[in-house]
Amino acid sequence: MNSGTVSSADILIIDDEAQIRRLLGLTLGDAGHRVREASTGEEGLARFWEKEPDVLILDLGLPDMSGLDVLKKIRDRSDAPVLVLSVFGQEGSKISALDCGADDYLTKPFGEGELLARLRALLRRKKPAAGGNTVRIGAVAVDLEGRSVTRDGKLVKLTSTEFDLLALLVANAGKAMLHRQILRELWGAKGEGQTHYLRTYMMRLRRKIELEPDSPKHLLTESGVGYRLVID
Amino acid sequence: MSPSPEIESPSAEEPPRPLPGPERSNPFTEYGLVLGVVAFITVAGWFVPASHYPLGFVYLLAVVGLSIRVGKGPVFFAAVASALAWNFVFMPPRLAFSALQIDTAIMLATYFLVALIAGQLTARLRAQERFERLREQRARTLLQLSRALDSAGGEDDAAHAALLQASRAFPGDAALYLFDDDGRLGAARNGRLALEPAACRALEEARASSFAATAAIHGTALLVIEPIPGEPPIGVLAIQRPERGRQPVDRALLHSFAAEIAAALNRRRARAAKEREKLLLESDRLHRTLLDSVSHELKTPLSVLRTAVEKLQRTDDARRRGDLVSEIHTATQRLHRLVGNLLNQTRLEAGAIKPQLDWCDVRDVISVARRELAEPLAPHPLALKIPEEMPLLFADAGLMEHVVGNLLLNAAVHTPAGTPIELTAGKTGDGRRVYLRVSDRGPGISPEVQQSLFGKFQRGRAAVSGGLGLGLSIVHGFMLAQGGSVEAGNGDDGGAVFTVYLPHASPGSLPPE
Repeated sequence: MNSGTVSSADILIIDDEAQIRRLLGLTLGDAGHRVREASTGEEGLARFWEKEPDVLILDLGLPDMSGLDVLKKIRDRSDAPVLVLSVFGQEGSKISALDCGADDYLTKPFGEGELLARLRALLRRKKPAAGGNTVRIGAVAVDLEGRSVTRDGKLVKLTSTEFDLLALLVANAGKAMLHRQILRELWGAKGEGQTHYLRTYMMRLRRKIELEPDSPKHLLTESGVGYRLVID
Repeated sequence: MSPSPEIESPSAEEPPRPLPGPERSNPFTEYGLVLGVVAFITVAGWFVPASHYPLGFVYLLAVVGLSIRVGKGPVFFAAVASALAWNFVFMPPRLAFSALQIDTAIMLATYFLVALIAGQLTARLRAQERFERLREQRARTLLQLSRALDSAGGEDDAAHAALLQASRAFPGDAALYLFDDDGRLGAARNGRLALEPAACRALEEARASSFAATAAIHGTALLVIEPIPGEPPIGVLAIQRPERGRQPVDRALLHSFAAEIAAALNRRRARAAKEREKLLLESDRLHRTLLDSVSHELKTPLSVLRTAVEKLQRTDDARRRGDLVSEIHTATQRLHRLVGNLLNQTRLEAGAIKPQLDWCDVRDVISVARRELAEPLAPHPLALKIPEEMPLLFADAGLMEHVVGNLLLNAAVHTPAGTPIELTAGKTGDGRRVYLRVSDRGPGISPEVQQSLFGKFQRGRAAVSGGLGLGLSIVHGFMLAQGGSVEAGNGDDGGAVFTVYLPHASPGSLPPE
């Protein structure tokens, strides 16, 4: 198992498209990662069990078996970070992948910057939480222990639910959170399906955190899926 | 009745028999009338101081007059009675029969001739009058039938209308059976008259042997509906055969009636076939248009990509390389949007759009749409006007993002760079709907495109970069799928204004903190 440094990780790509594998290999290689490839689900699983990678990039549409099945098999025995690749228009499959334990997803076509940012977030979360309990989001500092938020040194008043929502997103920074997951975390089982709770609190939170609440830079909407906090 | 139907061939069609019309009065009353008139003239003539000659003319006049009112027999009777009365009462010696002299004999002969001719003429006139009346009645019946058939909706409707008319035109029950594609008689359409299975089989055989049967008798009077000559009959009109002694069915009318139904049904089928063909042609045309524009729209960014990549390989100038890369970027964005819209349109047409309605924030929808369209929207300052108390939308967030994205892109490509685009949202005056409005400062919507604005492959002529013309069609389809609507018009300052509406709903209250 790799030491987990962001600079050099072992990444396994399972995708049937040779060109996508080549481009991903180039991009990731340039970023200093070591890349292994597989073109089918069976081959991918074999490579995975040979040596567990730091991150698995998994395409949902594979020729021999569905990407979801590959994901389920892996999740039975491992919690290595999995980044799922889906095709435009398959909102449903993204959600099921996240539900099955995928850590994040990317929709093809995607940009290099997006891919690397997602990988960084996944690799960072592999590391144990580093000392400080204060997280900076743009001009805003979140003190997780003291449950307080300041903007440019001035205190921003958050209700306890608003803070819980922010803290949950901070804990999963960079990762797409499903509506369902957030609702369950904050309001328990009875919160599931009450999307309007989340919409309303997110609206309030953005007004307090974002400089331009109508075009947010940090508290981003993941189309058809949920929310994602982007810190950097 | 025999169980197997006798089937008449068309040549057996009888000429129209004049009906014993109700206008024909009882012969006894006619004889009574004749007697009365002759008696009246005789009594009145008794008191008139005139010779027997002029009275002879009065009798003659009466015979002619009576011939208008009564039949041939009574007229002849009138002639005989008049001759006898004249001879007995008025011819000298009075009240005794006198021997005929030559002049009186001529006079009497004239009586009989006039009576015969007049009777004949009147009978012919009457027959003609009856025939006219019958013809008029048939024409009226057929006209009513054809009107009823024309205004009927589907084939079942037409069959129903035909039966209704048949029950008016003919005594007793009626039923309509149509042959299916395999030449079998289907179930009766709405009729109360049931054909025995044996009769059906016989009719089916008659049809299969290309026997152009037009009528069959089987306890009920049957009629095969005649199609266009040369083609097999398309069905059977069955009419209850009247009981013995009752007024017979007007065969000629029945044949015309059946022919009219057949013609109407054939017209209807031909029209349906033509419409299917038109639809096929239309979808064929759409396919061609689709292929043409798709290949054009795909080739443009692809050729940009190819050229830019080739140039990239040959140039080392950093700034040139940067420009080329940004061209490649634009082309890929365009390809991405194109594929997205094609996919959406296909999903709409396949009925695969199943909106997942849930609460969503209009600001979320807008910010996602803007993120996707950062580049094409860059030359246009965008003003957002969303009230603080804007209610949540009950909609499919994913669909709404495409709706807003397409409206924004539409505004961006149809207006000159630098002109602002305004996005407003709110509740309608009556509070029953929420709206989202995209207004631009471009040339607006011309009246000629207003009609077809939301159709497929409708591209505005002023569009800066092509596009497939699917954007607004998708907006329309997605809004309908979510129970909403879209309206287009021109603003006060001339720019185009697109407004999408959704029903306003209130989510439950939030749990206490």
